[in-house]
Amino acid sequence: MQQFEEIYPFSAIVGQEQMKKALLLNAINPKIGGVLIKGEKGTAKSTAARALAHLLPDRLVVDGCIFGCDPADKKGLCLDCQKHIGELKTKKAPMRVIELPISATEDKVVGSLDIEHALKKGEKKFEPGILAQANRNILYVDEVNLLNDHIVDVLLDAAAMGMNFIEREGVSYAHPSAFILIGTMNPEEGELRPQLLDRFGLCVEIEGIHDAKTRVEVIRRRRKYEAGPEAFLCEWRESEQELRERIVRAQVLLPQVTVSDDMLMMIAQICIDMAVDGHRADITMMKTAATIAAYHGRTSVGVDDVKDAAGLVLSHRMRRKPFSEQQMDRQKVAQSIQKSQGSSAQPAMAHEHTHMHTHDHQH
Amino acid sequence: MDHFAEVYPFSAIVGQDLMKKALLLNAVNPKIGGFLIRGEKGTAKSTAARALARLLPEKQVVDGCIFGCDPADRKGLCSECLARPAPLPVRSTRMQVVELPVSATEDKVVGSLDIEQALKCGERKFEPGVLARAHRNILYIDEVNLLNDHIVDVLLDAAAMGVNIVEREGISYTHPAAFILIGSMNPEEGDLRPQLLDRFGLCVNIEGDKEADTRVEIIKRRREYEHAPDAFILSWQAQEERLRECIRKAKDLLPEVSASEEILTMIAQICIDMAVDGHRADIVMLRTALTIAAYNGRTAVTEDDVREAAELVLSHRSRRQPLSEQQQQTDKDKVEQSIQKSQNEKNQPEQQQQNPENQKPKENTTPDGSTTTQFAEGKSFKLNQKTLATARRIDSFKREGSGRRSVTESRDGKYVRSRIPKTIGPDIALDATIRAAAPHQKGRIGSLAVTIETSDLREKVRERKMGNTVLFVVDASGSMGAQQRMTAVKGAILSLLIDAYQKRDRVGLVVFRGNSAEVLLPPTSSVELARKYMQQLPVGGKTPLAQGLLKALEVLLREKMINKHTLPRLILISDGKANVGTGTGSPLDDAKVMAARIRDEGISSLVIDSESGYIAFGLAQTLAVEMGAKYLKLEDLQADQIADIVKGIQA
Repeated sequence: MQQFEEIYPFSAIVGQEQMKKALLLNAINPKIGGVLIKGEKGTAKSTAARALAHLLPDRLVVDGCIFGCDPADKKGLCLDCQKHIGELKTKKAPMRVIELPISATEDKVVGSLDIEHALKKGEKKFEPGILAQANRNILYVDEVNLLNDHIVDVLLDAAAMGMNFIEREGVSYAHPSAFILIGTMNPEEGELRPQLLDRFGLCVEIEGIHDAKTRVEVIRRRRKYEAGPEAFLCEWRESEQELRERIVRAQVLLPQVTVSDDMLMMIAQICIDMAVDGHRADITMMKTAATIAAYHGRTSVGVDDVKDAAGLVLSHRMRRKPFSEQQMDRQKVAQSIQKSQGSSAQPAMAHEHTHMHTHDHQH
Repeated sequence: MDHFAEVYPFSAIVGQDLMKKALLLNAVNPKIGGFLIRGEKGTAKSTAARALARLLPEKQVVDGCIFGCDPADRKGLCSECLARPAPLPVRSTRMQVVELPVSATEDKVVGSLDIEQALKCGERKFEPGVLARAHRNILYIDEVNLLNDHIVDVLLDAAAMGVNIVEREGISYTHPAAFILIGSMNPEEGDLRPQLLDRFGLCVNIEGDKEADTRVEIIKRRREYEHAPDAFILSWQAQEERLRECIRKAKDLLPEVSASEEILTMIAQICIDMAVDGHRADIVMLRTALTIAAYNGRTAVTEDDVREAAELVLSHRSRRQPLSEQQQQTDKDKVEQSIQKSQNEKNQPEQQQQNPENQKPKENTTPDGSTTTQFAEGKSFKLNQKTLATARRIDSFKREGSGRRSVTESRDGKYVRSRIPKTIGPDIALDATIRAAAPHQKGRIGSLAVTIETSDLREKVRERKMGNTVLFVVDASGSMGAQQRMTAVKGAILSLLIDAYQKRDRVGLVVFRGNSAEVLLPPTSSVELARKYMQQLPVGGKTPLAQGLLKALEVLLREKMINKHTLPRLILISDGKANVGTGTGSPLDDAKVMAARIRDEGISSLVIDSESGYIAFGLAQTLAVEMGAKYLKLEDLQADQIADIVKGIQA
């Protein structure tokens, strides 16, 4: 993505800790599966998503491959890399943020016939689209709720398979397209389709800060940044670098993080009690909790990590009636945690839980 | 901007000081982010916006660059300028006003494949659109509220980051598009989408001058101008030059202006108290206050600057309380309070105890003396499907799937993909056509680089939002407050909203009470927002039923105009006891006349009668007959044994 403006540094964003955390966790562990940022206008949603690009760590890619194939993943290689397997050159390259504009047409998203090549050589050649660039990168959609349904369908197809299949204009082609989806939206402009919602690993809902002192800090930093972007970036370079190093450290630590059976039980219990659809929530919660532990420099997942993860994973997955305030019931989560901790299930506790449950329904 | 047309000089505009101020502030500091002029017809909105172009100072651009890149800003250069050898040729030019016509198509706005290049040379080249020309200029949209939804989407996307990313019709191109957005609109024709509204830095509400003397002066000047434009412009030249000088001075002074801690706290406090969304208001308010100080030749922001800035920044950002007529006044008082508060350093932010879930109705007295009551919403209930089926059958439209966006046959809508046409029409997808023709070029001979045969032709498939627009027209008069009637009504509306949510209908809310009707929520796809507004709905006062219907008709007619494919539906919830009319006739007769007009416009409607008690007047039913509407009683919506009644209505 070409940048025409200096990008406001990630670490200089005031407050909005949940949003920043969700983005960082995805940078550490792409398997978490992206994040949806929902919030009112003017809450640094887009700023944060774009600023993340500068923090992304390096990873190993096949040199010269347009899809940036992972040389370690022999099965996930694109057709071209498979042909030359054994003689692949590798290099380190940072993860990128690929932006999908609202006005995109299908041919540029999935890829199509290369016009110039066809005209000059009379040959059919596949020209990769956004889904090709997005492979192993972050696919960012600003105002994702305004995206055309047809483009959403295409995205969902690719996201489900991790592959993009093209059958059009006489071109047949398939290539890997495993991307992290990051979307921002203002719910005032309409809701998101449930299938697309489920594709986001995490979801955070943010609003403006109501504390006068913090608000002043927001204004002050913005003013400083606008008065002299270069100087401002310079001032924040150190904290940006620190954050980048922290991400790398967490990435190194992540494979060593263990999740005990107790913790797995807890995760399962929370998901049962919150009545989520399917099992994606459980798996994402486990991955998220492990990544949170790694982010804090620990090698085992604790109760707080699970609690943290639940907040990020569940808010958009609860089977919610339309209009019920979707504030996730933290009390309920806390109860599930207690329940799974008191392994000798105490009847009194269970009783209290059912009581709370009926109480909820009355609202 | 049209250079042939004479432009009426800015300084010759009579009155409208606030609007002129907003324009000038933007000229001094483009970072304020443009502004929106809301006003009735014929209040010099467009004249002022166009005249501004003549006042703008010169700027440096890269010579020969279509985007007019800033040579001083290395990072902001477009890809062509980056590729050119340094030093870049520089020339100075005046800022322009680029107009975006309401009828503009998406490809003309974002840019598309250059057809000529493609056909003649077989090359793929980007043809810049309106957004490219708008870079570092003013983008002016007259009647911005009538802009097509999908064009608004594109604008939002570009305005958010000052970059236009094009990924369409075989073209991948990214170019800078940082523009000052100026829009004008007549609020009578409907409001703007909230996200777009927030993109305008400032907003001014203007109206025609009421002084006879001033009005005469306007007529005189206009006559003089039309009689001899050249002479008129010449006579104002000195004034214009003075203004230009003023702008130049303020621009030079701006970097030196500073704001104290107290001022910053004051701004933050005002924004908190006015309950604005997000932080954009704070940032814009500071910028505006700084610019006002610079314009007045000062290097420090004063309290008065903040006060002035607040008025310009907040009018379109504060969350409106439904049906408060004296909004303007209270707003100013509120700002005043915030300023006081931030000055008394023991700032204990008053927690406004607002609890919409409160089951007890809240009473408060409005300055006009009438008492309003706010009821909680009744519990939503599962709608009886048969009843609802009737309710939905009020339109003859057969829905395909749910109200999702559907493929349209007309030429408006977003171009998403192409297909082989059944018959060859005007909407050719050129990129796809060339792509289809390309592999066969070796065997074809023609004068152009690309020879296209009929079999290559592809047409555009366009998508647009389609679905119903459901407008709720709610009676919030005193009679609805009796016996917790409103609680049940809110429950009913909520249930209907849930239904609309599932069908992806657009919903709107018109409320009448006291002496007038108001569009509480213009049709929007956010059902959530409709619910929020409905929760806060106060009840009390008289019943201006005719006004309510008239307002609803206006909203739906406009909706039809913008969105030709929408199917407007009107749901009136009232007991029909009208007691305020529009003119000479009895209030009920007035309402009947309006009802008939709604029927004549072919708007399908449903009347939900909220009348209760032993003595039934059946007024709402009479109205339903006039309107050609289906008629239901409030109770019917939730009754289980409804089937018989429904049959009765259909018969």
